[in-house]
Amino acid sequence: MATASPDPLTTEFVGRRWPLLWLALRTGGLTVLTFGLYRFWMKTRLRRWYWSAIRPGGHPLEYVGDPFEKLLGFLIAVVFLAFYIGIVNLVLMFASFALFHGNVAAYALSFVGVMPLWFYARYRARRYVLARTRWRGLRFGLEPGAWGYAGRAMMHWLLTVFSLGLLLPRMTFALEKYRTDRTFFGTERFEQGGRWTMLYRAMRPLFVAAILLLVSITVFMTTNDPLPTILLGGLGGLLFVYGIVHYRVESLRLLTQEKRLSGVRLSLVASPMRVFWIMSIGYVLAVLSILLPGGILGYLVIALQFANEAPQASGIGLLRSLPHWVLITLSAMLYFSVFLIWSAVTHVFITLPTLRHYAQRLQVLHPQALSGIHQRPRDAAEQAEGFAEALDVGASL
Amino acid sequence: MQIRVGSGPPRFETAGHFLSGTHAQVDPVHVTVTEDNTALTWVDAQGETHLWPFPIIREVPDQSGRDILVLRNHYDSVQRLILPNRDIIPRLPNHAQVAPLANRGRLIAWAFAAVASVALIIGVLVPRMADQLALFIPPKGERALGETTLGQIRSALDDTGLAPIAICNQAAGQKALGLLTDTLTYHVDLPFELSVVVLDHPMVNAFALPGGYVVLFDGLINAAQTPQELAAVMAHEIGHVVSRDPTRHALRSAGSIGVLGLLFGDFAGGAAVLFLTERLINASYSQAAEERADIFAHELMRLAKIPPLALADMFRRLEQDDGGTPGILAHLSSHPQVRDRIRAAEQTQQVQPDFPVLDAQSWRALQQICAP
Ligand SMILES: [Zn+2]
Repeated sequence: MATASPDPLTTEFVGRRWPLLWLALRTGGLTVLTFGLYRFWMKTRLRRWYWSAIRPGGHPLEYVGDPFEKLLGFLIAVVFLAFYIGIVNLVLMFASFALFHGNVAAYALSFVGVMPLWFYARYRARRYVLARTRWRGLRFGLEPGAWGYAGRAMMHWLLTVFSLGLLLPRMTFALEKYRTDRTFFGTERFEQGGRWTMLYRAMRPLFVAAILLLVSITVFMTTNDPLPTILLGGLGGLLFVYGIVHYRVESLRLLTQEKRLSGVRLSLVASPMRVFWIMSIGYVLAVLSILLPGGILGYLVIALQFANEAPQASGIGLLRSLPHWVLITLSAMLYFSVFLIWSAVTHVFITLPTLRHYAQRLQVLHPQALSGIHQRPRDAAEQAEGFAEALDVGASL
Repeated sequence: MQIRVGSGPPRFETAGHFLSGTHAQVDPVHVTVTEDNTALTWVDAQGETHLWPFPIIREVPDQSGRDILVLRNHYDSVQRLILPNRDIIPRLPNHAQVAPLANRGRLIAWAFAAVASVALIIGVLVPRMADQLALFIPPKGERALGETTLGQIRSALDDTGLAPIAICNQAAGQKALGLLTDTLTYHVDLPFELSVVVLDHPMVNAFALPGGYVVLFDGLINAAQTPQELAAVMAHEIGHVVSRDPTRHALRSAGSIGVLGLLFGDFAGGAAVLFLTERLINASYSQAAEERADIFAHELMRLAKIPPLALADMFRRLEQDDGGTPGILAHLSSHPQVRDRIRAAEQTQQVQPDFPVLDAQSWRALQQICAP
């Protein structure tokens, strides 16, 4: 009997904008009302929603993270980090002013000092999220190795900076390989294939942008004519921003098609232009949506300043006659509503469409190999993503 | 075989999918309700019969696709039953129940540990270290710290978003200010050179910064009725400078800012920064530090032949002008003990002035120091 390879599994995305907007607003409102405490629930619920929207082969992913374990992980992280950040910042500020008579050194050192922690936190967060993600009833998982990751990440960052970005693909590849080779689906281990040099093609727009910027500087140096400089420089700058998005999407695509899970392969034909478009439109909409509350907030803050004035200063009419605490409360409410609207709009117009684009372009090839995979034991991942939460490590998801 | 008569609940049967949680296969199953209408049952691909009584069935929440219903079983964390519609929901009494909180004790213990560690660090460790380190910071570094902080405050107070608020330097006013400063400090040996700066802002406030900076707001100069009253406030601020209160305070904030940001996350991060800027301006030193600065001010004024009573007059004036608006006087009168401080200034040994501390013309010039 001929074993024809079955068709690849395509991925459906079933999430709609309105339910997400409602969920983001509701959970965001609760976060504001609880002084940030509900954010652990907010994150859990949004993830449950997003995960369930992605259905490779028709079966949804499931996120089984628990808000309480997130809160616990956060508390554990605070115990350690409060000490580190409080004391280290103080000593750095002292040393910086005592030795260098300025605070630039303190900020730089404090940044470098937090960087290893930052990478550590990112790896821990990934481990936690994978341990709480299931598909077809099986858990994903990531082996421990956060400090090893942080060490490698620091080394690669140094190399990238010193090579003026030329070794960026080497870093991207090495770190992705480190993570992928420790990732499991059930009992089966992922493997990252390919070479780091294959990522150079993802950098093409960045190279062109760099050349444009260099040319614009050279033109200015030689002719002193600002017009071509502004045109070339503006074009170069825009292309550079696109180049960053292009690099991220394209390197993800290249890396994904080189991942193996026993016999299973993946394919992700994501379009960098499409992602760039989604992000541009999304941020424009987000900025527009906070203009009104942001404008009122700015006005109130000015009013607050004037409320402090001696009587002879000109007042802002009616606002001056309001009690001070009313203005403060109003400003606080507006500040938080700006936060809320921003978060909801970016979820609906950036995270959702981006995720939908990725999901719809994702295919699972040779899925018959999945049948040999069995369940893996539960990873307690006790600190959850506490460090990432406390350090505010990127990742809105 | 049993034959049902009458109006029993309608038969329920549907195709569904069962995830056993042991392997990656998805079993298509035929799901029915038991005869007695108390449980869901089906046979999986291995031929094993499953029976989930209604009360232990929970719905997996926050699902985005409304075309399916994902069910789990209270006693098993991995098995899932996926049904193509929500018809069964009315029969599941506990479908919306959330999982109980496991490990409540641990959570509470760590919550206490977190609060205690933050309190310990912000309340004890950082202040102690700041107090110690403030003694070791070299004058040049301290000066730089003061300059940086002054820059931050000038930017923070700006409403227009264009430029930091201006330092007033109208020449005649500057001269009068120098005269007043010299008169005050003539008889004492200060550890630093003093820089008295007037900011063009209507706030009735004054504060000291590291490295010998005394900052007066234009609003304060206008609120003072006599040069003696202004001198009194300056003497108090010089007291803070001498005991290095601002240096300690700046180092403390450096330690505390990061910790507070850590606690509140990104949603209130901006609010935390605003709050700390406010605290920098309305620097609230300890009651002991304020008393020390007052006592120093009395002494300084006596040496300069200015009656310390002027400090009491200034406090009282600030209290009246205040009119119940909080924040107007900042640290000069923010504590409830301001009455005690008025009394202290009244009861300390007074002196008779030999001559006015500034002549009328210089005083007018000083009041016009921010005039364009
Ligand atoms: Zn004081």
